[in-house]
Amino acid sequence: MRKRVISFVVLSVALLIVLVELFPIMVVIVNGFKRDIDIWSKNPFYFKPTLRSYQLIFRHREFPRSLRNSFVVASLSALVSVSLGSMAAYGLSRFNFKFNDALIFILLMVRMIPQISLAVPFYMIFRSIGLNDNVLGLSLAHISFNLPYVVALLLPFFSSIPKEYEEAAKVDGCKTFQIFLKIFFPLASAGIVVAAVFAFLMSWNEFIYALVLTGTRAKTAPIVVNAFMGQYAPLWGQLSAAGTIMLLPVFAVTLSLQRYIIRGLSAGGIKG
Amino acid sequence: MFVLPALIVVGVILAYPVIYALVISFTDRELLYLGKTNFIGLKHYREMLLDRNFWHSLRLQFGVITIAIPIELIIGLFVAILFNRDFPFSKILRSLLMLPVFVLPVLSGLTWRLMLQPSYGVLASFFNFISLGPTAWLADTRYAYVAILLQDIWRMWPFMFMIIYAGLSSMPSEYVEAARIDGANFFQRFWYVLLPYLKPVIATAFLLRMIDALRIFSEVYVMTYGGPSNATMLLSLYIHKQAFEFGRLSYAASVAVFLLIVALFISYFVVKRGLRGEVE
Repeated sequence: MRKRVISFVVLSVALLIVLVELFPIMVVIVNGFKRDIDIWSKNPFYFKPTLRSYQLIFRHREFPRSLRNSFVVASLSALVSVSLGSMAAYGLSRFNFKFNDALIFILLMVRMIPQISLAVPFYMIFRSIGLNDNVLGLSLAHISFNLPYVVALLLPFFSSIPKEYEEAAKVDGCKTFQIFLKIFFPLASAGIVVAAVFAFLMSWNEFIYALVLTGTRAKTAPIVVNAFMGQYAPLWGQLSAAGTIMLLPVFAVTLSLQRYIIRGLSAGGIKG
Repeated sequence: MFVLPALIVVGVILAYPVIYALVISFTDRELLYLGKTNFIGLKHYREMLLDRNFWHSLRLQFGVITIAIPIELIIGLFVAILFNRDFPFSKILRSLLMLPVFVLPVLSGLTWRLMLQPSYGVLASFFNFISLGPTAWLADTRYAYVAILLQDIWRMWPFMFMIIYAGLSSMPSEYVEAARIDGANFFQRFWYVLLPYLKPVIATAFLLRMIDALRIFSEVYVMTYGGPSNATMLLSLYIHKQAFEFGRLSYAASVAVFLLIVALFISYFVVKRGLRGEVE
């Protein structure tokens, strides 16, 4: 009996914490279905659902394209980072070169460089070689933080795979690259999927490089979400609707990859 | 052979920009650059150290580390202790708590700005109701800073929670049981058993968040853009403003190099701890 009371009390406290914590997110979702005039009203609980904001943002001049840009940049940077990063993590965990430890150390260190420090040189370099306002250029900038991140995440995954597997494969006459593709890639597939998903998400949420390195053409969705603030009156409804759409991958990832979140976070943190 | 492609890419898009920034910081290159670029040595670094606004930004940055992160740590620690038992729905509640960490910082900043709007913001009405602070938080030099700290605490305490929770659930239950049998009360168990066990976890989490704090940018950019009158001008915003508003690219580069060195210094300790953890 006493045990059940305690567990009920704990549940109610926990529920309260979660409700308070998720309140701002609920504000975003609800406001996406409100008219601007109702958001501006004094009574925050007045709610007459409408899809007006969603209709508006999909007919918006910039939002659909920026969403596409976001998707392309995030996929491209995740794909490149994961293919190069998994190869590097494999090499670093399997072969003993002279500078291995130093390389690992440096790669782990540089994954935490603040983006703003690189934004200035990136801007100058990209301007001089014409990569400014270019989806490809922005993807490159995103790879600069995603690649070291992927290596950091995958290193422990790869080191935990027993040496016997590759020895057996070698006896069967596999070349090194085949070993990597046929043995390691499938064995570490869980880690690789997690790395790809987190890399995608970091790129999806990224703001500084998008702000500094893109103009009208390569603009990504976070920039347009901010632009709904407008010069005169903020369009909160459309801002929230667009924000809700940006949150969909976030929901999907946090609720499905719960097991890997700690690993993903401690490998580098999520920051825009 | 496997490492080479990644190494080349890292060299081109990481090492090269870092060296570029370092080189530029010794020159007088500006955004609207017409004439020749001149080598001016350490002049920008001297200017940085003499600039009161730079020190102001550094203090604000330090405030995030000494105010926001400890609060996040305390909330995270107690919620982790609360969650460290079996009760219905605990798993789903735990993953729901993680959502704010992954919310785009821009959206978080904008939503806080909405909630703090004087006439129709929910939070503003609430604070008004309990007579806390001015009507327009983001227009007040002191409360704007409090607002960005609150935003950071809201978003990142679940990060502390998650890491501490992971540490707690790996702790053998005999530790606490033994202390309980010896007659230790809750505070004694907390102070002498839990805390020492969690110390390495907390230290790593704290270091990780310290580097994160150096990277705060977009949420503040959209909430206040460093204002009112520099009250929330964190270092990253200071760099951005110098570079892209005043066009002083080379000066911004020298501040960026400074920030980079601080970040690498902290991350050196993070990596060292991490590697030691893997060996053990």
